[in-house]
Amino acid sequence: MKAIWHSIERFLRSPLVSGLLRKFGIDPVRYWLLIDLFGQLSERRELFSQLGRDGMTLQKASWAYYILSGLMVLLFIATGMALATYFAVFLAMTTFLLLAMLLSETSNSLVNPVEGLVLAHQPIDGATYTAAKLTHLLRILLHLVPGLNLIPALAGLTLNGCPWYYPLLHLLAAFAAGLVVALFCCALFGWLIRFVPPPRLKAVGFVAEMSPWLFYVFFQFSREMRASIQIPRWLPRQAGPRRMLAATLCVIAVTIVVFGIRALSGDYLVRVAAIAQGGSRAKRKVRRSRLSSLAGRLCGGPPARAGFEYVSRMMMRDWQFRRQMIPLFPILLMLAVGASHVMPISPFSGKFTGMHLLPHAFGFAFYMICTVIVFGNDHQGAWLFLLAPAGAFRGFARGVYARLFTLMAAPHLILLVILAWYWGIRDAGLFIAYSAAAAAVYLGLELRLIEGMPFSKQPEASQNPYMLPMMLLGGAAMGIAVGLQYFLVFHSRTAVVGVTLALAGAAWFLTRSSIEAFEASIRFHLGMLTTGSKGLYTEIAV
Amino acid sequence: MPGTIVAFDKVVFSYDYIEVLHQISFSLCQGEVVGLLGPNGAGKSTTIKIIAGILAPRGGTVSVAGLPLPERAVDVKQRIGYVPEAAVLFESLTGQEFLELSGRLHGVEEDTLQMRIREILEIFGLSSDRTSRLDTYSKGMRQKALIAAALLHNPELILLDEPLSGLDVNAAIMIKDLIAALAADGKTILYSSHVLDVVERVCDRALIIHQGNLIADGSLESLKASTNQESLEEVFRALTHSANVEPAVARIVAALRS
Repeated sequence: MKAIWHSIERFLRSPLVSGLLRKFGIDPVRYWLLIDLFGQLSERRELFSQLGRDGMTLQKASWAYYILSGLMVLLFIATGMALATYFAVFLAMTTFLLLAMLLSETSNSLVNPVEGLVLAHQPIDGATYTAAKLTHLLRILLHLVPGLNLIPALAGLTLNGCPWYYPLLHLLAAFAAGLVVALFCCALFGWLIRFVPPPRLKAVGFVAEMSPWLFYVFFQFSREMRASIQIPRWLPRQAGPRRMLAATLCVIAVTIVVFGIRALSGDYLVRVAAIAQGGSRAKRKVRRSRLSSLAGRLCGGPPARAGFEYVSRMMMRDWQFRRQMIPLFPILLMLAVGASHVMPISPFSGKFTGMHLLPHAFGFAFYMICTVIVFGNDHQGAWLFLLAPAGAFRGFARGVYARLFTLMAAPHLILLVILAWYWGIRDAGLFIAYSAAAAAVYLGLELRLIEGMPFSKQPEASQNPYMLPMMLLGGAAMGIAVGLQYFLVFHSRTAVVGVTLALAGAAWFLTRSSIEAFEASIRFHLGMLTTGSKGLYTEIAV
Repeated sequence: MPGTIVAFDKVVFSYDYIEVLHQISFSLCQGEVVGLLGPNGAGKSTTIKIIAGILAPRGGTVSVAGLPLPERAVDVKQRIGYVPEAAVLFESLTGQEFLELSGRLHGVEEDTLQMRIREILEIFGLSSDRTSRLDTYSKGMRQKALIAAALLHNPELILLDEPLSGLDVNAAIMIKDLIAALAADGKTILYSSHVLDVVERVCDRALIIHQGNLIADGSLESLKASTNQESLEEVFRALTHSANVEPAVARIVAALRS
């Protein structure tokens, strides 16, 4: 296998391919230097958040997708799905997942350009740099497209009326879709980099990353929108004009992509320093939060207030954290939209309602927050905590917990008012108490997932490919919990009161021990910073 | 002007619609060592980055060796050596790998490159650390690696943004002597620093930027004469209207006591 790879590599670096690269305005020497550099940095797990996944992470992710696609194939074959539908489902799924993943990858790579900053003063032209970056991104396709499509392509042969060449056609179509998506992502950011002022680029890139998920949510929930998009009504009825229209749209799309990539290659290295350093210069008001003051008074003085305010501000401002939360928004939005439809139906009515999902949705949200909160864009600033007196961490940990608790408490209070309107204060109060107690249990448990000081580690792109399987598993666990709750608890108010009290007690004890564990985790990981890698010291010395 | 390496003409630059350089003009001639001075946030690093082709000005024209920027940025970058203010490096590369990357990107022939790397690393005392990763380097060692990378391809114009930051006394003395030697060899050097006595020792001429405006441009003697001051520090304080620091220091101490 290695020999084959070496021959392919020798061919790619041959004068023939070099001549071809030159025709596209790409300097082959510098192109391969950059490809080698990006590969080296990825494999050494440097600039992980900027350069994307290393080979091992991609392999692991592709195995997860082999399993996922295999399960889907079993389901589709068992239901005797038509070949055209089967093909369309996998192609749509591949396109959607790659769009979400490559948008995130491109944004990470281009909008958070640490390596671009190091290379900006080197004599590299934009076309070469963009080509190297695009090639590096295309590695994702080589791993994930087979993961999502190899089993479906082969298994398609078992469907009725499937031609012998179907697997080849399926894989080719999937790779073509992936390539189009990759080019589209680069072109989109090319346009953004050209027209959006550098300080606003991260925010706009964030919206771009969210767009596939938001589109998915709106498409799921807006029946009116789906009904109004009757594409065939818009189209001309005759085949000739239809083909003309399709050709025109293709030409427009290709033009947009080509000019977007040209914009990227033309502008990027001139703008990279401004993108990296041009944070918003808007002055922020000095605000004293009463909540943080209260947290300080109740949870351990100034260190608790520091923990509360630190996490509060970083959750709002840390670009990497906000990006990691992107998959959470559509889920919460879907739940919120779903719940709003069924709000008048009380869970005590004996009927199943979306409100049963509420505490578990908080559990899921806290799971995601607690898993990623240790990673941050400004992780180098963690040196500050090495100087804090050891006694401060108990209060700090409590302050962080208090901030996370408010994320749950505030929506519950708002819901209490709304639900009291529909169900009456007794049912609403009881349900909200139950939901808050269950969510507090989740928070108490999931606080243990925070491994170290919040926002003190370099973000790891290795987590992203597992997001979909993790969401599916989380969804299954949530379904079981909701089922148990519906069948065993919500049949009598007395049972709900009893379970609520039990949950509140469990939350109390869990939270106490989890805060201690969290404090120990902060100390342990800060200790690792001082005794382990010298990286932090050398970085902060800059 | 004959022998002009850098022509900076009425350059305007903005970050997020906030103008930080207001129609600045100056030129640098071959073999000159020019100090670029100014308070924090005056626009010194921005000026250097524009000359390095890393930032594009919003107005005015910039050219290096007759090549307009940003249109000919790649050719300009081929001719400059740049030591940035913040030493951002690829931490997982070794010193040797980092220098090889830099030299190869500038198209230095392999034999010449290896010879230069060997020589420079030995002179900088980094030979024994050449195969260590950069994240194990001290701040001074990283600065030396950056200076080495800036010189490897024998550039015509050298842009130094606080180059002595983190260097020990011996290395700092060596760099100062190196600057003089490079200038004697015909290199043009733009040296940005807050350490005014070093600037006074190594530079022939000084540019002082204050709040995005070029407020002084001349030889050190002419600046001292025109402001009736005896040292560059006094010239700087006179031109930038730096307040007497004693009351400010007293206020800080009082605030800490309260």
